[in-house]
This record gives sequence, C-alpha cells and structure tokens, in this order.
Amino acid sequence: MTRRQRRDLARNIFIYGSALVVLVLMAFPLYGLLLTSLQPESIIRSRDVSFVPTTIIFDHFAEVLRPGHIVPLREGMINSLIVSTSTALLCILLALPAAYALSRLKVPGGGLLLGVLISVYFLPTTLFLIPMFVIFVEWGLDDTIWSLMLAYSGFILPFAIWIFKTFIDQLPIEIEEAARIDGCSYLQILHLIVLPLIRPGILAAFVFAFILSWIEFLTPLIFTNSLRISTVALGMFRSTIDIQIGQQAAAAVLTLLPVALLMIVFQRLITQVVLTGADR
Amino acid sequence: MYPALFTLALSFAEFNMVRLSIERFVGFGNFSSLLANPQFVATAVRTIYFGLLVAFATATLGFLIALLLNEPFRGRGLVRVFVVLPWAVPPVVAGVLWGQMFHADVGFINAILYRLGLIDSYRIWLGDATTALHVIALAEIWKAIPFMVLFFLAGLQSLPGQVFEAAEVDGANVFQRFRYILMPLMVPVAIPLMLIQFVWAMKAFDTIFVLTRGGPGGGTTTLNYFVYQEAFQSFNLGRASASAYVLLLITLVVVIVMLAIRRLVSRHWEGAS
Repeated sequence: MTRRQRRDLARNIFIYGSALVVLVLMAFPLYGLLLTSLQPESIIRSRDVSFVPTTIIFDHFAEVLRPGHIVPLREGMINSLIVSTSTALLCILLALPAAYALSRLKVPGGGLLLGVLISVYFLPTTLFLIPMFVIFVEWGLDDTIWSLMLAYSGFILPFAIWIFKTFIDQLPIEIEEAARIDGCSYLQILHLIVLPLIRPGILAAFVFAFILSWIEFLTPLIFTNSLRISTVALGMFRSTIDIQIGQQAAAAVLTLLPVALLMIVFQRLITQVVLTGADR
Repeated sequence: MYPALFTLALSFAEFNMVRLSIERFVGFGNFSSLLANPQFVATAVRTIYFGLLVAFATATLGFLIALLLNEPFRGRGLVRVFVVLPWAVPPVVAGVLWGQMFHADVGFINAILYRLGLIDSYRIWLGDATTALHVIALAEIWKAIPFMVLFFLAGLQSLPGQVFEAAEVDGANVFQRFRYILMPLMVPVAIPLMLIQFVWAMKAFDTIFVLTRGGPGGGTTTLNYFVYQEAFQSFNLGRASASAYVLLLITLVVVIVMLAIRRLVSRHWEGAS
C-alpha cells in the first residue's frame, strides 16, 4: 500500500466513523421517542430494553386521538391549525405593504425601524407578555383564541416583514418604474407586479409563521385556561402530568409531525431564506 | 415597542392586579429588593453560566459537524437530513423527549449506561439540581445544533479554496491549516452565531418548564423562568418586570463583551498578516 492510499484509507475511516457517531447522537433521541410511541406499555416499562422493536402497535396513537381523552390532543391540533393558519395569513397581509414601504419608499428612519422590529427577537419574551397580559385582561380578550392570534402576530410580524424585504430588495426596480410611468398606482404595482414575483417569499413567510405559531408554548400557557381552546403544544404538555409513557410519546410525535413534515418538504426554501437573510 | 416600554414603567412600580392599574411608583425599590435577594443573584449567575455553556457547546459541536458535512462522502445527504431534523422539534416536545430519555425508571440513558456497566443502579437524573441543569442544557444544545451547522456550512463554502491549496503546496499539515487559516477565517462567522445562540439560551423556557419546573429547590430556575414565576404565579408584575430588565441588561453586557472580543480578534489577525 502506498503512502497516499494509506492516507486515504485513514481519512475514510475517520470520516465514516465520525459520520456514524454524529448520526447516532443526533437521531437517537427521535428514534427513541418513535420507538416508545409504538410499543406496548409493558415492554416500555420492562428493564430489558431492546432498540429493535419486536412488536409494533398503534394503540397509543388511537388512544390519544380518541375524543374526550384526558389529553385534549385532537382539539389541540384543530385549534392550532386554525390559530396558526390565521396568524400566518394575518402576518402576510400586514407585512407585505410594510415591507414594500420599507424597501421602496424612502421612509425617514426606515433602517432604525427595521432594527427595532428585529430586536424583538433578542429581548426576553416575558418582557412583552407581561404588558400584553394586562392589556388582554383589560380588553376582555384573555382566554380567547384572539389573544393568541394577536400575540403570535406581534412576535412573527417583524420576521415576516424581514423575509419580504429581502425578497423585494432583490427585484429590479426598473419594472416598477416603468409601471409607474404607465400610470399604475402603488397598490396596483404591489398587486400586479411585486406579488407574483415574490411568490416564494410569501410561501416562506407562511411556512415560518405557521411553524412558529404551532410550536409556541409560553403564550398559550399564560393567556388561555380553557381546555376548549388549548393549542396542541399546550395539550401535549398536559400529557406529562399523568398518563402512560407510550401515550405521552405518541402525543409528542403527533405534535412534532406536522412541523417536521413542513420542514422536510420546504427544507431547501427555508435554508435559502435563512442564509440569504444572514448575508446582510 | 410599546409593550417593552410599559414593562420598563412597571419595573419601577407596584402594580395592582385587581384594578389593573399602577398603584404607585417605587423608584428602584423593585431592583434593590431583587439584588438583596441571594436566590435572585444565584439565579442570575446560573442564567449566565447556562447561556455561555449552551452557546460554546453548540458552536463547538456545530463547527465540527459542519466540517464533517463539508467533506464529500457517501450518505452525506442522509446525515445532513438527520442533523437538521431536531430544528423542527417544538421546544415543548424536546422537553418531553429528553424527559423520557432521562426518565428514572424507563429512560434509555439509564438503560444504556447500566448495560455498559457505567452506573451500578438507575439514577434519578432530574432529582439533582446540577445534573438537571445540564440535562436541560443538553436538550437546548441538541435542538440548536442544526442552526449552527447550517450557518457554519455556508461560511465554510464561502471560503477561498485556493488559500488551502496554496498552504498544502507550501507544506502546511492538516493542523497547521486548521490553526492558521481556518480558525482566523471562521472566528468572524462564529462570534455572531454564538451571540444569537446565547440570547436564545437566555430565553429558554419550554424545556425548563417541562423537565423540572425550575426545581429541585429552584436549582434549574433561570432568569426568564424566574420572570414567569414572579409574573404569572405570584402576580408580582413590578418585580417580574424589574427581573426582565435585569435579564435584558445581562444579555446586552454579554453581547457587547463578545462584540469587543470579535473586534480585538479581527484586529489582531489583520495586524499579523
């Protein structure tokens, strides 16, 4: 064996070895959760764990999805679907004109405004939740779906504006100038020219807003009490109080599944948005 | 922004929960009563430790994984998918997940360590404050690694390849190339990432709530969790707001220190070349 071959062999062993370690460390927790959700309680509780399942059952999933189960997961998923979808739509509706204005019109202090908006992500969430709580109680909105939608929109809107702005900034301004000369109003330009061109941006904003609303936990924990409007994350959490381990794992898998699927389907779009945004 | 200013006003005041109005302003009373409380100070120190631990660990591991994924090998796509996947895990699910992993009776961690003979009996991981804090940190690190890896990968791919080839021709070995070329080029990428990670770790809530509820004995309470307890369990909004601002202040100080380090490092590097 030549020196070169020996070196390549060493490199390969090192690379495949570390790839295996990384794969196991990152994926094992998720595999373990899935495994637990598919096994009978007696096997989970026994101490001879095996990492290759011998029996697979779907009872835990059927059980947690049964209406009236102690964990309001079915209602939670429906509520979260409603809240997340409407939050996402609301954010897109509000963020689009804002982003367009910040990108195209010379708003005095526009850069500062954007900075302030983005700083929302660096401040502790509780800083915003305390006054929101006071306001919602005052308006009688506490313990309603509206309080969740308003709070989520407050958190997600800056992010949506930022996504739209990165997309609009990349459009050549000449098209819009030509349209203006032809007599288009700002609204017409937005509707007829900008909107069709930034479709991927709208999709990205929707996916992000949906995921962020779906996983939010602290906000519903504070703002809602009724089981009726419990979101999926909150409902799933109730499973930690006292139910079987297998059902708890099944509830966790169901909470995770929609966002994981969105993430896998839109992986390319999501990474692209995050990385281009980070370049500036 | 209005909410943040409202909280600032609250931090100097006593708030009446029943009438929903500010009772009276107490100046720095909320702040001084917090600082006089040894438990609060311990919580603040713990929060900083937690944030730095998560930021450094995530950056180190994320960088190493990115280096690996930057090399071509068979099955790289598969590894990449599984490395990115924890990103999609809702924090509350991550809490439940690691709670099950470290479960005293049925957790996989106990089972594996026991089989390997590393522990004599099943341990109650979340029963001890120090261990529990590190379990929470582990959950946060696991969840944050994908983000780091993606950014480091982007950074690695933007590096000029010729520099490395030139160094190899000049006879620099792997470690020299790593130390003198890769490190200086990556530090400007790494520091902002660590900052973001630090800020996020300071905001950790879901994992703490699910795993330990700040216990045992308050040993896993971080500032953000403390704010939650003060505001929505004790309904002491004035003190909670003051704590939220202490948290903000600490975050800002660390951010400024890290930015200063970044400037020093890049100046040092420019001076050397």
